[in-house]
Amino acid sequence: MKESRREFLKKSGCALSMVTLATQVQHLGMMSALAQKLDDSKTATEGGENYKALVLVYWSGGSDGNNVVIPNHNDASVSNYAAYSAARQTQGLALAQNTLLPISVPSVGGLSYGLHPSLGTVAGGLNNGIHELWGLGKFAIVTNCGTLVSPMTKAQYQNNSVQKPYQLFSHSDQVAQSQTSISNSVAFTGWGGKISDRMTLGSNPTGIVPMVTSIAGSQIFTAGQSSLPLAIASANNTGVPNLANVLNPAGFNTTAASVARRNAFNQLRSIDLDSNYVAAASNVTDLAIQANNALQTSQEVTVTFPNNSIGLQLKQVARLIKKRLDLNVNRQIFYVQIGGFDTHNGQLVTQSTLLSQFSQAVRAFYDEMVVQGVSNDVTTFSLSDFNRTFNPASSGANVGSDHAWGNHMMVIGGSVAGSNFYGVNTTNGTPFPTLLNGGPDDTSTGTGARGRWIPTTSVEQYAATLARWYGLPENQLPEVFPNIGNFTSSNLGFLT
Amino acid sequence: MVTNRPQTLTRITTVLIALMLGMVQGFAQSETDPNSPTPVLLNQAGSKRVLAIPAWKYDGGDPNDLATEVFRPGSEVIFFVRNIELMKGEEANAFRINVSDALGRNYRFNVVDLFPVDAKGFEGVYALKVRLIDSLGFWSESMNEGDVHVSVAWRGLASEKLRLGYGSTGGNLKDVETGDSKSQTSPSAELVLGRFAGDRMRFFEQAGFGPNTALDSRVRRIGIRTYLAEQLEAQYPSIGNPYPIIPLKSTDTQNTLGCGTVPVPRTPEYDVCIRDHYTMYPIQRWFFTDALYGESQLRHKVSWALSQIWVISGAGGVTQQSSWMIAYHQKLSEHAFGNYRDLMRDITLNPGMGNYLDMARSTRNNPNENYPREILQLFTVGLFMLNQDGTIIVDGQGNPVPTYDQTDVDNFTEVFTGWTFCSVGCTNSLPSIPNYKDPMIVTNANNHNITSKSLFNYPGAPNPTIPACTGCTGTNTINYANASLEQTLDNIFYHPNVGPFVSKLLIQHMVTSDPTPAYVGRVAAVFNNNGAGVRGDMKSVIRTILLDPEARGDVKTDPNFGKLREPVQLATNLLRALNVKNAALNGPSDGVITNYTNGVGQNPFNSPTVFNYYAPDFTIPGTALLGPEFGIMTTGTAIGRANVVNTMTFGQIGTGANNPSGTRIDLAEFTALAAADPTGNQLLDALNHKMMHGTMSPQMRAIILPAFTAVSAATPAARAQAAIYLVATSSQFQVQR
Repeated sequence: MKESRREFLKKSGCALSMVTLATQVQHLGMMSALAQKLDDSKTATEGGENYKALVLVYWSGGSDGNNVVIPNHNDASVSNYAAYSAARQTQGLALAQNTLLPISVPSVGGLSYGLHPSLGTVAGGLNNGIHELWGLGKFAIVTNCGTLVSPMTKAQYQNNSVQKPYQLFSHSDQVAQSQTSISNSVAFTGWGGKISDRMTLGSNPTGIVPMVTSIAGSQIFTAGQSSLPLAIASANNTGVPNLANVLNPAGFNTTAASVARRNAFNQLRSIDLDSNYVAAASNVTDLAIQANNALQTSQEVTVTFPNNSIGLQLKQVARLIKKRLDLNVNRQIFYVQIGGFDTHNGQLVTQSTLLSQFSQAVRAFYDEMVVQGVSNDVTTFSLSDFNRTFNPASSGANVGSDHAWGNHMMVIGGSVAGSNFYGVNTTNGTPFPTLLNGGPDDTSTGTGARGRWIPTTSVEQYAATLARWYGLPENQLPEVFPNIGNFTSSNLGFLT
Repeated sequence: MVTNRPQTLTRITTVLIALMLGMVQGFAQSETDPNSPTPVLLNQAGSKRVLAIPAWKYDGGDPNDLATEVFRPGSEVIFFVRNIELMKGEEANAFRINVSDALGRNYRFNVVDLFPVDAKGFEGVYALKVRLIDSLGFWSESMNEGDVHVSVAWRGLASEKLRLGYGSTGGNLKDVETGDSKSQTSPSAELVLGRFAGDRMRFFEQAGFGPNTALDSRVRRIGIRTYLAEQLEAQYPSIGNPYPIIPLKSTDTQNTLGCGTVPVPRTPEYDVCIRDHYTMYPIQRWFFTDALYGESQLRHKVSWALSQIWVISGAGGVTQQSSWMIAYHQKLSEHAFGNYRDLMRDITLNPGMGNYLDMARSTRNNPNENYPREILQLFTVGLFMLNQDGTIIVDGQGNPVPTYDQTDVDNFTEVFTGWTFCSVGCTNSLPSIPNYKDPMIVTNANNHNITSKSLFNYPGAPNPTIPACTGCTGTNTINYANASLEQTLDNIFYHPNVGPFVSKLLIQHMVTSDPTPAYVGRVAAVFNNNGAGVRGDMKSVIRTILLDPEARGDVKTDPNFGKLREPVQLATNLLRALNVKNAALNGPSDGVITNYTNGVGQNPFNSPTVFNYYAPDFTIPGTALLGPEFGIMTTGTAIGRANVVNTMTFGQIGTGANNPSGTRIDLAEFTALAAADPTGNQLLDALNHKMMHGTMSPQMRAIILPAFTAVSAATPAARAQAAIYLVATSSQFQVQR
């Protein structure tokens, strides 16, 4: 494997590494000395045998976790199915108990919980979904996780004695906070990008593409201070079916006139950089042109992926992982997204469809990682804007739910200590919140209370656990996660 | 800074003549010089170092006596600027100090005060009090000490960069020979193109979908002010391109009131029925036709901007039918030149919005917070309290002050309960087909919440509380609901945030992504009061945005001026500049050009979410710069845009089932120029004028000219294509500036 990589390097003498590129794209002072300063103490390692990747699947719009992980037991000492049903049945939002996919949860005394039925086998499905991975120990859930500045009780929430995340329940702000991990102030960089800032030179010293790749456009998660992400189309975007085409400028050939035009096309990006906007456009185009050189040999995946947005995004990720040796990368972070979870209405049908697409795609991706022999090296995890109100919005066929807070996140991969709930215990002594509008875990009290769970586990703790597994040095955790010191643990234990 | 001599001279001449005639206001309105002078930052004698003094030392007088070299980070320092002409009320927030260090990193210092220097020999010089604290806050480490470059920006114009000793002098800062890299309009070019050609061409991009030959030659004669006055009264939609008339259909496509059962095999008639009723095709086609050929460019542009603020979308079939979107767009365009308060009411009650953000389903017992939250966050007041210049108000700890909290959302939600589609008795009411054209109404009194509500309570707020309607039922409740809605919209409309919030959004859509606070403040003041005591008068707001000195001028040199062309603007600007026609080049394009925008992030009327294609506060990755359109500028779409240009330049959109006549640029004019002048200069001059309003730098010219003349002179059309490709794919053109 090493040899093939060296041969590749020899063959592609013209291909620039990202380190070389860094010195070239000084337009905005982006690829700056910062990264060097942070990384030069570390030993550069060769790519390949030491590979790890994080894959973020973002549930865009705020997924209703209350209908994804549901009590499936009758134990009245913690919220049981009856408690769930009582609050959601009238308006028609409760899922029938006999449709739930049971999971046994050691950290809640072995009680049974149920997953949304779309996470198992589905009509017309390509695989058995992710429910099966729970039984195989490759799937864990981090419960009641959300944006926090520091731990907060209901009393503290209500008397404002602890700083709240700014603009709770607003999409754009909660998206930003989940992706930056910072909830007390507006940030310009995401935690994926910040990890890249600190690890690119040490881990991918001869990498040909950036450490971070988005298959879902520009996302703050992917933006670093000194490193920028690649953002490419998913596997099927009409007209750009494969990696060789996703960043390839069309219309050139080898005639002298065409070569002259191509050279000019490239040269124009090195001038007129006094304008910050011109410089920014040139910078992102440069990044694309450099990466394009590396993507000209594509490798197809083995497993069949669903032919929908999330399936084709994850298929593109799987192709890039398969090319990791050619790209000379030891560490990669990917961002993919599945949208439509903002179910203020029509939730039952919409969420069922989306979860089924998610489950089918993530399972196909996991299976492909097994085929590629890297399932222990690749961890897939979820984030979302927020959970939704336990109390439904509207009713009947239109029934949906509104914006809320603490939610249940999923982690899948060979290194996951699966088949369990993780996270800090709620007031009921388990990691799972008490499902009661106006109850001890709700922000509000009284008749207007709608069931917005105050998170007990912060996004920072969740993210720090993932980052540590990925290889972010312990002493850099507080740089990437500035408020992590406010929490008792930076390791939730769901990764081995 | 080397001044732009020809323009400076003409400006002085104009002013002199005007003064002599004693009719400054009335003089040849169309020839008012749009250019502001370029600010000059005073340097220390014989050096590239800025003339500066610690603020505590300076009490007026000759600054040279107190010139200092090293300044403490965080301290306040006086800089000196000349060659500016201040308008009434123009203050410190019209100026920004851009800073770059030896690593090439960008920072910004705020100007906190401004006053004239009272010393002999310094007439017309102003002192700028500058706080040496980076206000962008992008870099997490503090600025390195040593020499940094500083430059003052004002009205989109930047001074020369000078050195400042930040903490100390020295370091590795390299002086760049800035010279004057901008191309100059030569006197002979002025004869051909008319005076202020650059300003005029930029105006067409800001106030419409870009210049074309006819518009250019006409406005060259009448001037942009006359044109603007015409535009504000022009018929809309443009003559010859009325809104498509599409009947409402059943929400079930297969219903007999829809398109009926799917025929086997599918027929062209069935496909057309689906396309015209259940997709955005008709409004997209109408929209692009008006953008490419319509006379009412400005109203079309403002309506397009409003559609990206008050978003509803066909994505995911949520706004299922083109007829719903057309009814919606009619309200946007009606009030685009009306009053913002009327827009607020009509969009709140518009059934398309009622469906998109769920107000149509929000009831007393099962309220839905979606619309109340977003009308506050996205459409009117925004998340944080604003100063009148659009800057965010912070508390004692430096945290932004929220405009509202969840309790406020709960209260507003209670007001917006009970409305639904008008299924009986309205103009477009039909049995079994939801009425997505007429305003929503309250039909079931039980669905409206009649308890008291606490709304915004800013100083002078109308209706801070809506009292309960105790014991109300039936008609009483319905009347109460309607009155409450008006009172609530007034309560929102008069919130002090609305002026700066809406003004900044409109400036960003039309002129520049990161306007100075002074510019926002000037527009907000007009939003608040148009001079005749009217708040929310859109015509006045738009006129003010477009005629502001920060928007106007032949050349803009502020590094933060301008905006990335969104895909719709990129495609329409290019097609208009390149004499777009149909595929056979014998008639107009059919307007079916979404191929040129969809793949690069903008499918019109199909925004991915209510947050539009990009967020107004999007900062460009790797910077702290506002650049909303960069939200859809990625490595992938950057190449995608080049490939759109490739298709447009070397190919076409051919005819087909949904493309009755296709779309193609007409190269004739450019081919003729290429043939007439084998050096390529005439062609490049034309492209510089038509596409870049004369701002092509000599370096850019030096790269492009030999590249397209590498194509054989025997094939002038191919030469023209190569030249167009290079200009149109350049980063310089991607940015409207």
